Formats: sequence, structure tokens, C-alpha cells
Amino acid sequence: MRKSKQHIRKAGAILVSSVSLALVVSACGGGGGGGGSSASLSGLYGPSTSAACSGSPVRGGNLVYERQAATQTTDPLNPRNGNGDIFTYNVIYSGLVRSDPTGKTNKIVPSLADRWTVSPDGKTYTFHLRPGLKFSNGQPVTSEDVAWTLNRFGNPKINEIMSAVAIGFGHATAVDESTVSVQLAKPVAAFLYNISIWPAFVLPKNLVEKEGNAFYKHPVGTGPFMVKEFAKGSHITLVRNPYYWESGKPYLDSVRFNFVSDSNTRILALRAGDAQVMDVVPFSQVNSLRTDKNISVQAAKVPLFLGLWLNHQRAPLADLNVRKALQYAINRPLLNKQIFAGLGTIPNSVLMGFSMDAPDSVVKPYGYDVAKAKQLIAQSKFPHGFSTTLQYPGGTDFYKQLALALQQEFGAIGVHVKLVEQDTATVTNNWFTRKFDMVFPFASFTSDLTVPDEYADFIANWDNGFHGFETSWRNPTIQQQVIQFETTRSDSERAKQWAQIQQALMNQTPAIAVLHLPFINAHLPNVCGTNLDGLGSDHLEDTWLANSKAG
Amino acid sequence: MLSYLIRRLALAVVVLFGLLVATFFMIHLVPGDPVRIVLAGRANPAQIARVRHELALDRPMWDQFTLYISRTLQGHFGTSFTLDAPVGEIIGQRVGPSAALIGYGMLLSLLLGVPLAIVAALRPNGWLDNAIRVGTALTFAMPSFWLGLMLALIFGLELRWFPVAGYSGGIGGILRTLTLPALALGLALTTVVVRTLRSSLLEVLQSEYIEAARSRGLSELRVVGKHALRNSFMNTLTILSVNIGFLIGGTVVLEQVFQIPGVGSLLVEAVEKRDYQLVQALALLAGAAVVLASLAADIVQALLDPRVRLAGR
Repeated sequence: MRKSKQHIRKAGAILVSSVSLALVVSACGGGGGGGGSSASLSGLYGPSTSAACSGSPVRGGNLVYERQAATQTTDPLNPRNGNGDIFTYNVIYSGLVRSDPTGKTNKIVPSLADRWTVSPDGKTYTFHLRPGLKFSNGQPVTSEDVAWTLNRFGNPKINEIMSAVAIGFGHATAVDESTVSVQLAKPVAAFLYNISIWPAFVLPKNLVEKEGNAFYKHPVGTGPFMVKEFAKGSHITLVRNPYYWESGKPYLDSVRFNFVSDSNTRILALRAGDAQVMDVVPFSQVNSLRTDKNISVQAAKVPLFLGLWLNHQRAPLADLNVRKALQYAINRPLLNKQIFAGLGTIPNSVLMGFSMDAPDSVVKPYGYDVAKAKQLIAQSKFPHGFSTTLQYPGGTDFYKQLALALQQEFGAIGVHVKLVEQDTATVTNNWFTRKFDMVFPFASFTSDLTVPDEYADFIANWDNGFHGFETSWRNPTIQQQVIQFETTRSDSERAKQWAQIQQALMNQTPAIAVLHLPFINAHLPNVCGTNLDGLGSDHLEDTWLANSKAG
Repeated sequence: MLSYLIRRLALAVVVLFGLLVATFFMIHLVPGDPVRIVLAGRANPAQIARVRHELALDRPMWDQFTLYISRTLQGHFGTSFTLDAPVGEIIGQRVGPSAALIGYGMLLSLLLGVPLAIVAALRPNGWLDNAIRVGTALTFAMPSFWLGLMLALIFGLELRWFPVAGYSGGIGGILRTLTLPALALGLALTTVVVRTLRSSLLEVLQSEYIEAARSRGLSELRVVGKHALRNSFMNTLTILSVNIGFLIGGTVVLEQVFQIPGVGSLLVEAVEKRDYQLVQALALLAGAAVVLASLAADIVQALLDPRVRLAGR
């Protein structure tokens, strides 16, 4: 009797799950749900606060983590798959400094270097290594390793992909056993941020020189974990680095990243308890997962945004009145609620959100004002409107709905948009070769740094060869402001300058930020210390399992 | 027999060469290239141009084509730019899971399809026959990604008999991780097995030697199992070999859903990143598998059936 009841309950559960799965499958066509109330959304930010995590961290346990993007290489100078590679670099390697692992501040904090000094002219940095540092194979980390790593970072022939963050780098020298000095060609305000990310992660000189590319099959680093098994296309298994410098960490014995591109499969694995953490929760699924008591949803503020890129070689889009009209025509609160579960924020910038951004009271966002938009169109060189195209990447969670909504909103002010859905590769290629009118150029559009220097330079510094990050927009005044900003050392002075640049970019609106978005992960409630830093990267050295059997 | 074999082989070579040419132009005519996809948004245009030059991507398409053909004929499949490793090595790592999935799927389709076909053929147009026809038509009509998700939902999430996704090797690992995707793949093929086998069984069951066997008082099971099935199976074998292409296509979707590190999911990644070297090699591999399977089926048929073997004389 009891058994048959169980069967009925089970059948019911299957039915309910089937219905929810049908919703998953149809998510691309359906609405994004009712949207969360903003009052409860703040609870999504920061690591898990479930009751299970109230005690002190427990050592041990194996974590299975379902990741959307696969790791394709462990070579930190040759990323092939964006965050799929970067998030693995971040746990097997480390640099001299790092951004606040808790993500609470935007500060640069010590990592392999426990202190450093800067010369008064801002061109010489002296780093002091922690005593007793070792690589994951037990060999000591020498100042020679560090200097060699930094000189590779600064060499655009070796650091080909990320040479933008090596801007102004001169050379590094091992001064003594535990001191490394770096000479810059000019003051670089973001220098510490630039060396806090993966291209500057310290590698053992002797092994890389001896083994060449074979080194990356069994890499050796200074991160909290080291590679045990790397099955390309399937998973990477990491185990505790016994020589990690933070004493007592990491807590976990091992971490396995499963590469699961399909979001339905990631969710199923989490619900089945096959995995304890998943990344990239689709916005259309956030509300359904939040109502599941056995799952914690976590959001992190990161420099991720919906960047609508405009081609200024097209006469209508070169017209400032038209660009401003487009800004006013977008009903951002509605888009946010309907498509992004209310998790986005309304930008007061044309770029991704940076913690340095001036608040709304200083730089105002564009409000939704159709009358004003129509008035601006009437004042433009195209008073009767015009026709244009909007390209966006297909096969993603939300771009189709977003593009349809924008088509309608722009149509209301006489801008007739033809939507062109392409695969991401084609869209990115068309953006790069400037074959577009309006485009969302990437499936996921993020900055590599938490400070605006990299992207401000991309879009405003015409001399970098990027053609205004392919917008063909050029403004010598703002370019000068950005170049000055990049070399100003005082933080308070930089904040002032950035507010001016932010406002100037908003006034000129070379591109449009539709919304700023967070990263959203989900995990089982017994996964504790799930810290994400300001770039959305997990700091798994802080992660622990409250009860490895619970689930 | 030898001349038959030579003719079939020559045809196979022509087919594969045609495939080589078609794949090259199809993937090259789609916008985008691997360097821009991997580096755009980070590296500056001058660096991207340099890497494209190193990979000969800035040369006219005809030059790239002749270079590709000459290298392929020498057995060089090149290096994948997006995965930063030799193409042969990458494919070698990932061909096993796909082969296991296809083999297992085929096995399941036979294990399910043969008994169903016999049951259906013994009572043609009875209620059981109709039920089998409707049932297999339904599974055939279901999109494989949906069927796969449903199986993962029921047997993975609810009943917890199998993991919802992932792959591990060895017999035990394959049984645990590939049963659901193989079932999703095999169910679609079961329809084909049931239909072809049922109709040839019906034909054979009407023939005189079956009547003779029956009149000698052999049990129906023995008549069907020993005499009729052996003579009906030839068509099914041919159909199965033709369907190898269908199975390979099925792995592309199912490997994504079940996260199996095989060549199907590799092909998706390669196309997304426009990894020319990898796409071309994978298409050639799939083509070779189809050609070889149909060649093998032809040879088996020729060996078993003199009418085929002698037809060309």
C-alpha cells in the first residue's frame, strides 16, 4: 500500500517535472516569468547564508561543478574559450596580487607578493614575495620565475591575446631572492589590476622552458588546486594543492568541473544531486530555481552588459539626435522585468558596470520617454525615420526576445528595424569587419578588469587600431580624457575624471548599454563559502561542504 | 567477386573526394574564421591579422583549397587553432565514446526491434501489430533531444537509476552513462528495424519452404526463429548500414544533451568556432564511416547471396 502511494507520488513528481521541463524547452519562445520583486533580489547577492553554513568551515569533500563553458587549454597566455579557460586558470595559478576574493570591494589585495611599494613617479613597482612559496610540485617559487613570467606578460609577441593589459609595461628584474622590480615605460594607473589577472599568473620558468607546450598537459602552478585529470570536452578534475600558501586552505579535497553547455542538462544534474554547483543559470529559469527549497541561487555583480553596438558609418546612426532618441525609446524597466527576471540594473553608462562608476545622482541614466525620442528624431536629419538592421546571436537564452522588444520600441519612433539572427561566430565576425548597422556583438559581453581602463581605451582611444571598438566613432576630446585617466595615479582624481568621461560618453552615446547584468550561479544549500570575486570567478579555496552527504 | 569489390571501392573514393570538396567550400563560405572568433574583442586588429597570415587564412580561397587537398592527400590533417592541438590527437581522444554510443544504440534497436517485428509479423494487422506500429511511429516522431531529456528526467532525476549526464569508460561506465542516450538513439532506429523486418518476414512466411517446415510439424517459434528470420534479416542489415549516417547525426544532438565527450559534440564546437581543420576532418571521418558501413553490408550480402555477387557478370 505504502509502495503504491509512493508510486503515485513519484508519478505526480514526474508529471510536475515534465511540465517544468516543457517550460524549460519552450523558454526561448515564452516570457521570462513574472519577474522577481526587487526587495528579495538583494538576497541573491553574496555567498550562501543557509543554516547549514552557519558553523565553521569543514575540511574535506569533493565538489562537482557544472560549467557552461569548457576548459580547452591551461595555457594562461593562450585562452581559447573565454571563461571556460579563465575560471580554471584562476584556481590552478595565481599572480603577485589579486582582486578582493570576497567580491565585496574592488580592492587589489596581496597574493604571492605580501607587500609592494611604488616609486613617486609611479613608474617603478617593487614586489616582495611571501616567504616559503612553493609550486604545486613542491619546487620553490623564485623571484626569477616571477620576473620571467612578467616579462612574458609584457611581450606582445608572447602575450598576443591580452597585450592590451600589458600597456606601458617595461621590464621586470629579480632584485634578490624574494624581491622583483618592475619598470614601466609610463605610469599605468591600472597596473595592479592588469597583473591581477591570468596573463600574469606565475609559472615555473624551468619547466615551461624545458617542456614547451607539453607543460600545459600537467601544469604546475601556485593556485589552491592542481590538475589531476583533464579530459578535453568532458571534465577537468582538480585536487588540493598541498603547497598552497593560504594555510588551511583549500577546504575541499577535490573539484571536478564538468563541461555542460546545455543549460537544461546543468539544471537536471543539480536537481538530481549529480552536481552541487552550476554556473550560468538562464534568466528564464531563475524564478523556478528560486522556489526550489533544495537549491540556492546566487548572483554576483560583474562587468557584464547588453551592449548594443552602433555603426557610425551609417548616416542615421552617425546623427547624435538619432542615437539619443534610441536611448530614450528603450523601456528598460519593462525589458528587465519581462526578460531578465528583474535581475538587471539600468545603466548610467554606455559600457559595462564598473564599481568606479559615478552614481545615478551624478550621471543620470536615460529614462523611457517616447515623446522626447520622437522629438529628437524630428530634429535629426531623418525626421521621417529610417530603416536599419539589428544583428544578434541566435541560440542564446534571451537575445531573440530582447531584439523583438527593441524592434517594437524603435518602431514606435519611426526607426524600422529588420532583425537578423545569426550564429555567434557570424555576428562577431560581422562586428569585427564592421558589416553591421546595429549589433549585439557577443553572446556574453564582459570586461576582463573591474576598472574601466581596458574598455574605455577600446572604445575611445582611436590610436589603438580598434576603430572605436568597431563603431567608427571618434572623439578627440574624450580620447584625450581617457588617455589622461589611464595615467593618473590618485584614486580620488581618477574617480573625478571617470565621472566626466562616463558623462561625456553618455552624452555622445557612441554605443548603447541596454542593461547591466549579473552572473547567476546555483548550488545546493550545503555548499558554503561560495565567494565570487568582482569578475565573477569562484574562489574555491574558500568553498566547503557543510555535510558532504546532504543534498 | 573481385571486380565487384573494386567497383564498389572506386565509387567510395569518388564519394569521399566529393565530400572533401563540398565540406571545404561549405565551411569556408560561412562568415567568420577561427582567429577572429577566438581573439576578437581582446587582441587588437593588427595582431589578429598577423595570426590569420600565419595560418594562411588571408590567402585566396582557391590557394587555401589546393593547400588543403594536397595536405589531406598526404595524410596531414593539420592543427586545430581553437583547441591548440593536432587534429588527429583530438579526434583520437573523442572517437571512442561516439563509437560506443552508436554501437550500443544499434544493439538496443535490435534487441527491441527484432522481437517486436516477430510478434507483429505473426499476427499481421492484429491489435498487437497495430499497437507496435503506432508505438514505434511515436518514438520515431519524437525529436531526439526531447526524448533524451525525457529519459534523463524520468530515469535520471526521478528514479535515479542513471546519471542525468556525463560519460565514463569501461563496460560498467558505458552501461551506467550511455544507456539513456543509446536508448534515445536506438528507439528512433527501432522503428526502422521493426518495419523492414516485419515486411520481409511477412513475405518469407508466405513462401513454400516455410509451408514445408510447418507441415513437418516444427513449432512456430522454430519456423520463425530458425528459418524465416535468417532469410528476412538481409534487408534489415542493409537498412541498418544505410542508417549509420542517421546514427552519426543523432550523436551530434544527444552528445550535447547528455554531455558525452564524443565526436558529435566536438563537431558542434568546431562548427561554432569555424575550426576549418577540425570540421573538415570530422566530416571526412563521418563520410568514411558511412561509406565503409555500406561497403561492408554490400560485401556481406554478396557473400551470402550469389544473385548479388553474380549480377555484374
